[in-house]
Amino acid sequence: MVKVVVIGGGWAGCAAALTARKAGAEVVILEKTDMLLGCGLVGGIMRNNGRYTAAEELIYLGGNELIEITDKAARHVNINFPGHAHANLYDVTMVEPMVREMLLKKGVTIKLMARATDVVMKNSKRIKGIVLADDTVEYGDVFIEATGSTGPMGNCLRYGNGCSMCILRCPSFGPRISISYRAGVEDLLGMRADEVYGAFSGSCKLNKDSLSEEIREKLNKEGVVVLPVPKEDINMEKLNLKVCQQYALPEYAENVILLDTGHAKLMTPFYPLEKLRKIPGLERARYEDPYSGGKANSVRYLSMAPRDNAMKVIGLDNLLCAGEKSGLFTGHTEAMVTGCLAGHNSVRLALGMPLLELPRNLASGDLIAYANESIKTKEGLKKRYTFAGAEYFERMKQLGLYTTDTNLIKERVMRNNLLKIYDEKLV
Amino acid sequence: MANRLECIDAATDYCPCYLAELNECIVCSQLQGKNFCDCNWRGVCIYQEFVWAGYKAKATRSTIFSKVLKKEKINKEVIILTLKVPNKMARELNEPGSFVFLRGISSPSFFDTPMSVMFADEMEGIIKIAIQVNGPKTKLIQQSQGEEEVYLRGPYWNGLLGHRYIKGTHNSKALVVLRGIAQAPGVIVISKLINNKNNVIAIIDKGKVGVNFIGDYIKDFDITTVDTDLLSEEGQRILKELIKDKGITLVYSGGSDEQHVNILNYLELYNKEAYLAVSNNNTICCGEGICGSCEVQIGDQKVRMCKVQVDIRKALERKMLNG
Repeated sequence: MVKVVVIGGGWAGCAAALTARKAGAEVVILEKTDMLLGCGLVGGIMRNNGRYTAAEELIYLGGNELIEITDKAARHVNINFPGHAHANLYDVTMVEPMVREMLLKKGVTIKLMARATDVVMKNSKRIKGIVLADDTVEYGDVFIEATGSTGPMGNCLRYGNGCSMCILRCPSFGPRISISYRAGVEDLLGMRADEVYGAFSGSCKLNKDSLSEEIREKLNKEGVVVLPVPKEDINMEKLNLKVCQQYALPEYAENVILLDTGHAKLMTPFYPLEKLRKIPGLERARYEDPYSGGKANSVRYLSMAPRDNAMKVIGLDNLLCAGEKSGLFTGHTEAMVTGCLAGHNSVRLALGMPLLELPRNLASGDLIAYANESIKTKEGLKKRYTFAGAEYFERMKQLGLYTTDTNLIKERVMRNNLLKIYDEKLV
Repeated sequence: MANRLECIDAATDYCPCYLAELNECIVCSQLQGKNFCDCNWRGVCIYQEFVWAGYKAKATRSTIFSKVLKKEKINKEVIILTLKVPNKMARELNEPGSFVFLRGISSPSFFDTPMSVMFADEMEGIIKIAIQVNGPKTKLIQQSQGEEEVYLRGPYWNGLLGHRYIKGTHNSKALVVLRGIAQAPGVIVISKLINNKNNVIAIIDKGKVGVNFIGDYIKDFDITTVDTDLLSEEGQRILKELIKDKGITLVYSGGSDEQHVNILNYLELYNKEAYLAVSNNNTICCGEGICGSCEVQIGDQKVRMCKVQVDIRKALERKMLNG
């Protein structure tokens, strides 16, 4: 029996746990808070632009459970908003219990409020166990780091505007640590356009009950509301702060754009509440996440591990990584894609098998490889890598990787002999 | 796996301290000159506290006048002082490992002497301190015959290593071993353990001071006490037999480093799972981590023992190896 320990229960960690389990491993997820999904608890955007392709690829590769959940939890299907087509918006209040139930049924062990604080090394290249805050040790054969790159409080202060009380709740559950750093491998840091390290999370969530009835009705019906920003408050420079370059469009600086994910998702890193309340319909608006979205948001990309295209951390023999830990990725779909590959490869690694690299004629394989190449340069450290927009979506179109033709996607996966590869039991 | 340190002052009213201003914080990597987070988090972000405090140390400990309410001469070696302090100070000192700096009012500041607190009553605003006379500083306190007041600076808490084990032991069984003047801080340790619903067995060895002076303070505690000489064959037999009891999950050693090692050896042989907490016997001078008198080398790290809670097993083993 192979034991795989996944550190971090966000989308990347859950995806990794799923595929590691399907490959036959005994799997434990260590999640520092009291819920799975991390930033996925306040996210919600799926299938927009190239993510549609990636989602379908994931289904055919064998990570279908994840996409089935987000499709089933969708409040809105196939909607458009500025710069984005055929998006689904899942309900952030429904999705976490569905994921938890699915993983438990698969036989994954989930340890909540289990914060990693250190590693126990077998030797300088092999991790033996993960030390938790209560001083117990979770031993394993292979480890997958999906701790994300957000915060903690000291980083949000140094590189941002201080703790904004986001869903990660570091004051309550404690800071994340970097497993790879504790194991002796130096972290990589992402930049924003002004060469400052880190980048703000790109959206806030408003409490829908605090919005006008007219806006609520429109959100519930259409999923999107676009409200013009008063001229004196337009701020184009704000776009440079954002993690999510796929929303770095003039429309997002000139308008307040709200998406209905259960919350009203405001597509801006932070927006002073007094200014927000000057907008008709938002006179009583208040933030749901981060609680201090008028002042700050969490800062990300402060802790990436160097890796190969099979998601294995370079410099350590039994550590893989996924999600933001594995590159300047944005979004749940990117977390799922990298997580599923890491989870599957964790079992291959334990068995001494060659690791799977997704081929570059799949969008998933190309994104993973392309991001890895790009972060070797300073220019590349300022970019974000997402199927949904910015530079990478353009690349998808140029290379012919972008499509909404599910039959074509299935054909591509089949041609690579990878149909349902993640369903293959290896142990 | 590189070792992170734990500071007893972290998250208290005295954190961040001067060390943070100097980029020498014991805990916070950002306040050690690094640009990322990697600390031994104890509930508060020290960097955030530092910024909120305007990039300055928070309240520093001040030296106050303390009225001497009573001076009891126990024998030629031991004096017990009852001192009047602010209620907040008494409350803060009612913790295992607490100590203050004392000096006579006619003495310059370098006569400040660290003294363990034996007893603290937060309602009355009093503390009791046992003093063994054995050096120029304590001699001067003894000789201050007619003085009604002393200078006092505090509170400090690192008089005990393994604080989290004392705090973390509940509904269990603990062995407390006290010898000589180190009987004094043992009273609060026992009190805390009892409050946490533990069964306590206390071995009390008079040691060099030649007297059990804590009897009056522990007589109302529902504990088992054993009076013995730990240096005798009988004392060692008793110690060994008690440590063999697997129900014992914590041992507190109040005494010399040799005593700590003696107990550690028995734990390694007979009760590996039990936690060990010990009195901190390092030389303490300023108490603030600045002067470096208390600095010891543990592995490749220099550690300021007036503030840092170290893994006591590692520290003792290292001392054994290095002499």
